[in-house]
Amino acid sequence: MLIVSVAFFLLILIGMPVAFAIGISGALFFVQNPDLPFTIPVQVTISMTQNFALLAVPLFILAGNFMNKSGITEQLLNLASVMTGRWKGGLAQVSIALSALMGGVSGSAIADAAMQARMLGAGMLQRGMSKGFAAGVLSFGSLLTPVIPPGLGMILYGTIGQVSIGRLFAAGFAPALLLWAALGMTVWIVARRRGYPAERTARMPVREVGSALRGGLWALLFPVFLLVGLRMGVFTPSEIGAFAVVYAMFIGVFVYRKLRRASFLEALEGSLADVGSVMFLIALSAIFTYGIVLESVPDLVAEWIMAVTGGLNGAMLLIVLALLIAGFFIDSTVLIIMLTPIFLPLVKDLGGDPVHFGMVFIIAATIGNFTPPVGAAMYAVCSILRCPVGVYTRESVPFFLAVALVTLALVFFPGLVLFIPDLIFGAS
Amino acid sequence: MTRVYDLICKAEAAIAGSFLIVMVALIFLGGVARMMHVPLNWTTDVATCLFAWACFFCADVAWRRDALMSIELVTERLTPARQRLLVLVNLVIIALFLLFVIGSGFWLSWVSRARSFQGIPGVSYSLVTMSLPVGGLLLLTTTCLKIRDEIRGRATHRAHAL
Amino acid sequence: ETFTLRFNHVLSPSEPFHEGFQTWAKRVEERTNGGLKMRVFHSAQLGVEEDIIEQMRQGANVGQNTDAARLGSYVPGIAVINGPYFVETLDEVKRLSSSPTVKKWMDELAASRGLRVVCFDWVQGYRNFFTNKPVTTPADLASQRIRTPPAPIWQESIRALGAAPVAMAFGDMYPALQQKAIDGVELVYNNIPGGRFYEVLKYANETKHIMLINFEVVSAQFFDKLPKDYQTALVEECQKAGQETSARILASEEKVRAQLKERGMTITENIDLAAFRKAGEKAYQALNLTEARAAVYKDIGK
Ligand code: NA
Ligand code: NA
Repeated sequence: MLIVSVAFFLLILIGMPVAFAIGISGALFFVQNPDLPFTIPVQVTISMTQNFALLAVPLFILAGNFMNKSGITEQLLNLASVMTGRWKGGLAQVSIALSALMGGVSGSAIADAAMQARMLGAGMLQRGMSKGFAAGVLSFGSLLTPVIPPGLGMILYGTIGQVSIGRLFAAGFAPALLLWAALGMTVWIVARRRGYPAERTARMPVREVGSALRGGLWALLFPVFLLVGLRMGVFTPSEIGAFAVVYAMFIGVFVYRKLRRASFLEALEGSLADVGSVMFLIALSAIFTYGIVLESVPDLVAEWIMAVTGGLNGAMLLIVLALLIAGFFIDSTVLIIMLTPIFLPLVKDLGGDPVHFGMVFIIAATIGNFTPPVGAAMYAVCSILRCPVGVYTRESVPFFLAVALVTLALVFFPGLVLFIPDLIFGAS
Repeated sequence: MTRVYDLICKAEAAIAGSFLIVMVALIFLGGVARMMHVPLNWTTDVATCLFAWACFFCADVAWRRDALMSIELVTERLTPARQRLLVLVNLVIIALFLLFVIGSGFWLSWVSRARSFQGIPGVSYSLVTMSLPVGGLLLLTTTCLKIRDEIRGRATHRAHAL
Repeated sequence: ETFTLRFNHVLSPSEPFHEGFQTWAKRVEERTNGGLKMRVFHSAQLGVEEDIIEQMRQGANVGQNTDAARLGSYVPGIAVINGPYFVETLDEVKRLSSSPTVKKWMDELAASRGLRVVCFDWVQGYRNFFTNKPVTTPADLASQRIRTPPAPIWQESIRALGAAPVAMAFGDMYPALQQKAIDGVELVYNNIPGGRFYEVLKYANETKHIMLINFEVVSAQFFDKLPKDYQTALVEECQKAGQETSARILASEEKVRAQLKERGMTITENIDLAAFRKAGEKAYQALNLTEARAAVYKDIGK
């Protein structure tokens, strides 16, 4: 695997698309081991697309794009602006609130970041915010979307690790509020120092607040429908993405009446490249993973963690750090698929709660979407804002520190994560 | 030649898009049918089969639009001539990899043609396996066109400078 | 010359089978003085079952723990072994190995499909229905949605016994039960504690409708390359470890059963087995397996 890893970094350095770099370097393992059938690389790549849980990836991307064309997003933006427009940092605060509101309907950070960059990016620059700051907020803010249920990470982790997805969903609310507070405070501090304006100075008339709430009602109701749908047994968790797509289309056509033939096709057309870039990377990463398993790297890592740390907290801290570092280079979806089977049994053996660990694990892995050099959300935002990665990196350090600190804090306070699921489903 | 290629691109997008929509419909239908106590067990197999094709067709759409993520922290510091050389090196390695994927993909589809779907016996699983080599052919075509553009020095849409 | 066999299974490392496979591997290695090494991979680490089977057919040095339903898609007759009430005791399982009909199928599997069955003495236990309503007759299963593997023999067997079969991934079962997307599952006792299914299911109905026999399969090409004494070691140690593990599992079912009772599950024992056996017939008819069954029964004197 040493040659494979070196090849991976080399290919990344010469600017090869990450998907190809991971597939090509992974294939080198088979050159080194000629006793393995040469068809395994294609076989494992195809099998990745046959994993029913992974269907949630394209479904959430589709749902996000349909929501944008169906008018839900604009209504939520209006609501977000009413809620946070008077805070320091104005549009930046609005964007974080929008991620939280979108979180109730969407499950993918990447889709949220790309959508918000298109919607709010230009406005933030117009209001005098620096490119790096705007890109940092848009990118890191989208962390709230998958943490508030439904979330792609929870579905993958729950399916792979056989952990109750209902409990995982419920566990997302409190950490999401903490992350929101941490990001909002970071924006507030930077805005105060640099004099970024608030959106409004005057209080909103009650009538307008009411109409904003009414406008966002259909989106705010979605998590409720979702829970009812789950409770009534209409859908299994891996089918929620399909439910979200149908809901977005229904609202767009019948409620806001904005989704027409042309906008439907536009949304679909726009989804193709998004689905392709994310799924191709995930599928080809199976080639890379095969060598890792065959060389027993997971067992070695688990043994090493056990040896270095004594107890549960130490192991979890080490895992979070490892995830943040691995997240620099590896996509969050791939991290969850690859590492859940390694870390979850380890944590269970040490007496950890699978829902508590899951939440920490999912947040830490998702942060990798926003950190250079490999980060899908970062890439989406930077390319839309035309922001160089160097500038983005410099100005997003405070956001990284804020969310990393919250994640580390969650390790020590399992109660914060678990009290809502315990309230809904009873103590485990 | 260009007209034929344009047509292929349009067909590719149309197929990928419709497959994604049919996938949504099938999963939705499967849930509703199960709720009505008449489970349809073929919907999962058909949905995942369509997904494989949609995946690799979408991958080509993304590749053609330069939407595959890459890191150009180092390459952007090089002289334009060296950058071009590096892009060519990249594309040639990718083309070789795709040739391997196409070859072994078609080979696997052929030798494992006896394997059937778990839920729909009698239908060969090669229907899924073929998605990768066929998608690979499209990706290879895109790669070759990129190589041609690079050599002619009129790269129409260069990768986003990050 | 030394050989390595990579053996894959989809069960978790805590299942008794994993320990059994490791014992098998250790004994083979000892008996061949390290000439034939076996590495056991749990949790489908090497890939999904169907992929591994295809790799074996291409001659790779891999092995897989699988069932008659999957092998039945290569040699149709084999699927019969996965039918309802086909065999009902460990002794009958042992007698299967000497059945000429079964042997013919195994030879065909090796010769024309490249899959060598090393042994099939590994029994996971009896499949029972676990539901939220008591089940004593096939009529009690009417319109109950029961999760079952997707292969035709599974689907038809569960349909024949009166339920509506639902194909679903193992990991989706718990949430699906919790949300009432399905009404029950059919599993062996040993699957219940690990999956915490006692939290979402009330009744364990001891229908014992399938004695779940597993097959240890390797590539025929790989097997034929091994020296004769290595082949013998691989087969004999497979049988021995398999029989030990199966006996241990059947014995432990009693413990699991008591444990589940303690956790609030009700055991339904007064099952109308005659009615279930009769209902099960339909599965053999639907899949055209009645003749295959008659041939095997004649061989083993059942
Ligand atoms: Na969400
Ligand atoms: Na990253």
